[in-house]
Amino acid sequence: MQRFNFPVVQPDPALEELRAELQVFLKEEREAGNFRPEPECWMASSDTDFSKKMGKRGWIGLTWSSQYGGHDKTALERYIVTEETLRAGAPVGAHWIADRQHAPMLVEHGTEEQKLDILPRIAAGECYFAIGLSEPGAGSDLANVKTNAEKVEGGWKVNGQKVWSSGAHISHYMVAILRTSPADGRNRHVGLSQIMIDLSLPGVTIKPITDLSGDAHFNEVYFEDVIVPDDCLLGEEGGGWKQVTGELAMERSGPERFLSSYITLETALHQLKGKLGSDSHGRLGKLIANLRTLRGMSWGIANLLHQGVSPETEAALVKDLGNRLENDLTLQVRALLNDLPAEELSDEMRRILNIGILRSPPNTLRGGTTEVMRGITARQLGLR
Amino acid sequence: MINTEGMVAETAAKIYTDLCGREVPHEAEAGQYPQGLWNALAENGLPLAWVSEDNGGFGADYDEVFGAVWVSAEAASPVPFAETLIANWLLDHAGIAIPDGASSFALLDGQSASVPFASVADHVAIYDSGQNEIALYKTADTTTGDAQALSPDADNRLDFSNATPVASAATNLSRRAVEALILTVRAVQMAAAIEAALNLSIAYVSDREQFGRPLSKFQAIQHQLAVAASESAAATMAATQAASVLAQNADDPEKAWHEAVVAKVQIGHSVEAVTVPFHQVHGAMGYTQEYDLHHYTRRLWAWRDTLGNEHHWSKLLGAELAVTSPDQIWKGVTTGAWIAS
Repeated sequence: MQRFNFPVVQPDPALEELRAELQVFLKEEREAGNFRPEPECWMASSDTDFSKKMGKRGWIGLTWSSQYGGHDKTALERYIVTEETLRAGAPVGAHWIADRQHAPMLVEHGTEEQKLDILPRIAAGECYFAIGLSEPGAGSDLANVKTNAEKVEGGWKVNGQKVWSSGAHISHYMVAILRTSPADGRNRHVGLSQIMIDLSLPGVTIKPITDLSGDAHFNEVYFEDVIVPDDCLLGEEGGGWKQVTGELAMERSGPERFLSSYITLETALHQLKGKLGSDSHGRLGKLIANLRTLRGMSWGIANLLHQGVSPETEAALVKDLGNRLENDLTLQVRALLNDLPAEELSDEMRRILNIGILRSPPNTLRGGTTEVMRGITARQLGLR
Repeated sequence: MINTEGMVAETAAKIYTDLCGREVPHEAEAGQYPQGLWNALAENGLPLAWVSEDNGGFGADYDEVFGAVWVSAEAASPVPFAETLIANWLLDHAGIAIPDGASSFALLDGQSASVPFASVADHVAIYDSGQNEIALYKTADTTTGDAQALSPDADNRLDFSNATPVASAATNLSRRAVEALILTVRAVQMAAAIEAALNLSIAYVSDREQFGRPLSKFQAIQHQLAVAASESAAATMAATQAASVLAQNADDPEKAWHEAVVAKVQIGHSVEAVTVPFHQVHGAMGYTQEYDLHHYTRRLWAWRDTLGNEHHWSKLLGAELAVTSPDQIWKGVTTGAWIAS
């Protein structure tokens, strides 16, 4: 019978009310000049003031308990918030990662003291996290991490280097996967653990990496004899590999995997309404049909996750299709804009389109490359 | 996912499992029509599933029947089950008595129409949107064109200029309502055929060895099929989304038009993205009549032309979106509400 599990879930009127509130807020903020929309905003556009405003409105920390500063809502509410902020190209990069993956990790594995201390600050849009997975020798081959944490009196001593850590320069913490004991022969998945590192600790050095457009949103992070307290081990010692792969599966199917470039289309649609030539209609129709289908898949997975099911392969499929679609969207918009006389093409449109092109290469890399996604799918198909 | 539970789908599944094994589509093409398969479907009343009880049918829910459509396409049905479902649905919407036997359907363009399974169907139900009328013809009364067909069930051009309908009556079905139903049925068939061909491809590359190991162990093969699998999953989502909206708007199928068109465009455009790798990984074997792959790929090539090809429908959808506000488009993408309520 059918190989993949993508339920069709109809829209929920309560969630649509939340969407309407978001739209009003985002429109006001944009019109007040408080942000300039950009594609790939969740990775590359950070504005801590904006994050604090989102926090005040109760749109960060939706998924966790009010006991820890959250809002007792579900991942579905969070989905609507992320979808709307992506559509608006809003500067949500500062709080995105903490809200998406590290706060839930703390809820599950953190000490009571950590939860009371850190989670309310994340929900307020004041405390940010960076991902500590990749290293110079460990990209797609993540199990090759060399940064290690050695057990010492009362804690762990960390030495090594992480790389491509987006937002580390403005983050308060990194959750890093570290080697806490040697690999078991060829099995490199054992002996890895996830440890939360306060980035203000002595021995931590953060160096920005400038991307090809001149932006510096990702970093190298060096650790030299950094002493991290015992209770910063998140989850099981040696259980890091399983935790990380579970975490990656959860973040591969979200709206940021296919809507990162939507602001480019949104801006173009405003310019093009009623002006599109009939030769371009097919291009627009196909693009929108592809977006609607992907949204159905992504929303289906969000609902499965909400029910406690973690569909790893379906998430990998969405990421592969979605990343291709985001880059295709930018190219299709370029073609559609030919229908506009050059003098009508606004500077704002050019700016957004060009940022989208410059920021397109990482779409098919971050969170697991296209090749890694296809490997996961192939395994499910029984081919490896 | 298309729901294949429930009595209608499970009955269809049993009949297809028992009477439509892999040899049956081959035999049908060699001239041995599986009348027993058709008889079993008819005896169980399955072609009448969407016909109202007043007209001798079951009045089954849309979604219950889509599971049966999936099952029939998965088996590369050599009998016009889906086509008869559509024909009977049309006739029922004009209060015309349902004829015995297999039927097909078409939308009239002038004096002729493209009719799937024309060589097998006894009757054709024709929807004429200009007259808001449905007419029932005997296939034998029409004249058949002789273009090369893409598949055994592919559309054939029938000329109705010298034919008199057996019955005709006015209908309140709009053209968009008819399109919604036909495109959604086809979308479900296509998604099922894509998945069946994916399964064949996986089995073939796992078995076939070259350079001393199964083809499935080559990363180039794995990645081709992984991409095809993602298109297969997307096709199933698009079909399910259309089927689900139709089920919710059973009283007003026109409301399901946009989602049906989305499915048509999504799946139509994905046909190349799947049939190319499926044939590529099969090598020359996939090109033979002896092997099963063509039962699916030829049907996909034929079905993507139903009511016009994917380019035609992309254009139609795009033309409407080109004058729609960006807010409404976003609403469509996120919630499926394509027109202001």
